Amino acid sequence: MSQARGPRRASRPVAKRSNVPLVLVAAVALAAIAAFGIWRYLNVRGTAADTITVYYCKTDGATLVPWKVTLGMPHDAVSIALFAANQVIAGPPSGTDAIRFPQGTVVRAVRVSGSKATVDLTGAIAKPQEGSFGESAQFKALVWTLTGIRGIDSVQILIAGSRVATLPGGHLELDQPLARSNW
Amino acid sequence: MLLGGLQAVPASAATRPAASPDYWFAGTRVIWSKPQKRGDELAIANDDAGLGRFLARLGAIISYDPGQRYAVITSGDRRTISFAVGDARYTVAGVTQTAPFAPYVAGRSVYLPFSALAKALYVSLVADGSATVLQPQIGGLDIKVENKVTQVTFRSASPPKFKIVSDPSDPHLAIQFSGVGSTLEKDRHIGGSAEVHGMTIRTGGTARNPTTTVIFDAMSGTSHVAMTPQTQNEIAIGFAFKGVAMAGTPLGASAPAVAQAMPNPTRESAGPSTNEYARVGAEVVPPDPAIPPPALSAAALVTAVEAIPDGQTLNVRIGVTGPVSYEWHRLPDNRWYVDLKNATLGVPARDEQPNNMAASSLRIRQLSTAPDPVVRIALSLASQRQVQLLPSDGGFTIAVGALDNLDAQRVGSGKVVGGSIVAAATPAGGDMWSPPVTAAPSAPVYMPTNPKLIVIDPGHGGSDSGAARNGLVEKDIALDVSKRLRAVLIARGWQVKMTRETDVDVYAPNDSAHDELQARCDVANTAGARMFISVHVNSFTSSSLNGSTTYYYKPSDQALGDAIHRSMSASLNTTDKGLRKEDFYVIKHTLMPAALVETAFLSNVEDAKLLRSPAFLQRMAVSIADGIGSYAAKVPAGNYSSGT
Repeated sequence: MSQARGPRRASRPVAKRSNVPLVLVAAVALAAIAAFGIWRYLNVRGTAADTITVYYCKTDGATLVPWKVTLGMPHDAVSIALFAANQVIAGPPSGTDAIRFPQGTVVRAVRVSGSKATVDLTGAIAKPQEGSFGESAQFKALVWTLTGIRGIDSVQILIAGSRVATLPGGHLELDQPLARSNW
Repeated sequence: MLLGGLQAVPASAATRPAASPDYWFAGTRVIWSKPQKRGDELAIANDDAGLGRFLARLGAIISYDPGQRYAVITSGDRRTISFAVGDARYTVAGVTQTAPFAPYVAGRSVYLPFSALAKALYVSLVADGSATVLQPQIGGLDIKVENKVTQVTFRSASPPKFKIVSDPSDPHLAIQFSGVGSTLEKDRHIGGSAEVHGMTIRTGGTARNPTTTVIFDAMSGTSHVAMTPQTQNEIAIGFAFKGVAMAGTPLGASAPAVAQAMPNPTRESAGPSTNEYARVGAEVVPPDPAIPPPALSAAALVTAVEAIPDGQTLNVRIGVTGPVSYEWHRLPDNRWYVDLKNATLGVPARDEQPNNMAASSLRIRQLSTAPDPVVRIALSLASQRQVQLLPSDGGFTIAVGALDNLDAQRVGSGKVVGGSIVAAATPAGGDMWSPPVTAAPSAPVYMPTNPKLIVIDPGHGGSDSGAARNGLVEKDIALDVSKRLRAVLIARGWQVKMTRETDVDVYAPNDSAHDELQARCDVANTAGARMFISVHVNSFTSSSLNGSTTYYYKPSDQALGDAIHRSMSASLNTTDKGLRKEDFYVIKHTLMPAALVETAFLSNVEDAKLLRSPAFLQRMAVSIADGIGSYAAKVPAGNYSSGT
């Protein structure tokens, strides 16, 4: 009897012990995969810093000044790019010596495709511009800021949804993506 | 599904549509188009018409794109406020705060906690009976003590208005803001200032008509001015002892005055000053030396244009009556065009996108009319595709191949006569009829067909005035300087062609930037000029900037820009703002050495004075011509690589 029960006793507990860890391992693996998926979604390009570097151009038209801006909650690249573009348009704190986008410039949309960010601007920027000096500095700050986001190398500008050669009455060519090497 | 749920946090059961609540702002009831309630809190969609009007009055802007997780609002004083879908935390100028509920997505809209948004915009929700008044506040204060001047800046929800309510003889300046309350602390000590020791802030009025009075504890013997604020939602007041220079408008010299923070920055119209300026530019200049006339006297007629796409290739068949000479150009950005000289377009102009992989656009138009009619056919190639001109019945065919030709020549010419093509030259392996020039594939040498020709481009013109300030208009000054430059260059033995000689658009009135600027480049590229000089006048929103700048784009153009800029710096008394590299369209898309000169800032009072002076404009023209001469002496024609 004992010999007969022995193997049965021995085999049943073994079977139970091997199933429970398997289920646990599978659950942990699934959870890990799900967590990784969520993490990947929220950090598409791996940027998870709490601040981003936003640039503005001083009124000498040449000097770029970086300043740290506290990032909001989402950390995916598109959200960060939208946030960064708005920060550039808003400019540095009031009282700072800076060349700023015309007040009333609106960031309509930001997309990120591969290493290229597309920034769609409208509002005051779509009206005839004043001089090449500010125009160049404004876009220099925007391009430097966005290409500071990990994975973004160039910025395509759209004005009111369209690719344009330059701003109305403008000078800087905008129908090709801009990169830091443009300056 | 899981990730999608994270992206578009749906409205929970606690969210419900709401009747438009009784909110008032600036004397009128706010009509929300699709408000919702989240508990007791009001949730407003980013695209709610009522929110749009509210933000517009504050000078604020909202940026949200359906599918994204951020909604970013820029306040009138240029602070950014960012909300994230599904997160109750939000940031105001980088400082994290917590809203009553997390923003959520419904349809293509994001719903925001209105009370949090209003607070961030310096707007308080004040009960007035059963109604709620959205009361703008003075919510920000900056104090700067520098160079014996104390500057106090108030930041308000909306563009503030104030008046002086103190006696002019009282050193304790008191100002009263109307229509705004204040969230600032009521008594404020100003440390480190010898001019103002502190200030007291008192609020009054009603919920709908609030007032805020600020009494400055200014020292006897001080004066005060309204300084230029950074944004329309700010008031900046400067204090200094008499005798210390301050930039601004004196306050309180006589009766109480009503002032507004900052005038709306609109462009000045041309007006009488333009006419006055036009007289300066109307002097007699020598006639433009003509480019040699076309060899064929009777104009040919283009009777047909047929695009035949075929996947990777494109054939464009051109029907043309009579003999016609042509000249084609391949530009560095893969645009290719052929000009049919002494030809008129007998079919409608076209601008289309052929459905194929070889070229993204095809454009046919009458480039110029009699006495030198030219028809242009232009292609935007997908890459450095091989292009051939082939004879065909009643004309010729432009054949765009499937393969790239990395050794492709950049220019060629010939004639179409009686169903055959007589090319000026036929290089082996390259496009047909290229001129006999040697060119390295990576850095082609530009050989001007007219080494004595300089193209001057007076910036802007016609429907595009360029900048306009201080009674000056950029297009007029640019034309004046260009005409003077032309006269100087001709006197020195150069030939000159202008992209425009009067106040006109070069391409067409109200045309696109591409058409207008490319037309200017085409003048120089088609003429085979030795150099291209674009003349402009700068401007900036701040009147403090002044000076002269010279721009180049191609590295090989730096020498030309440098020569011109050195010459200008040596002979003009403007501030030297340097030689700079920029992606400016006209200096990028011209094949020859090119520079763009920004003569001075018409937005600066001192520069504007100079720009009104014919003597200064003449010195400017002479200095540019000196620079051109200096460059030409150093860099012979043909020793120029247009590679970038």
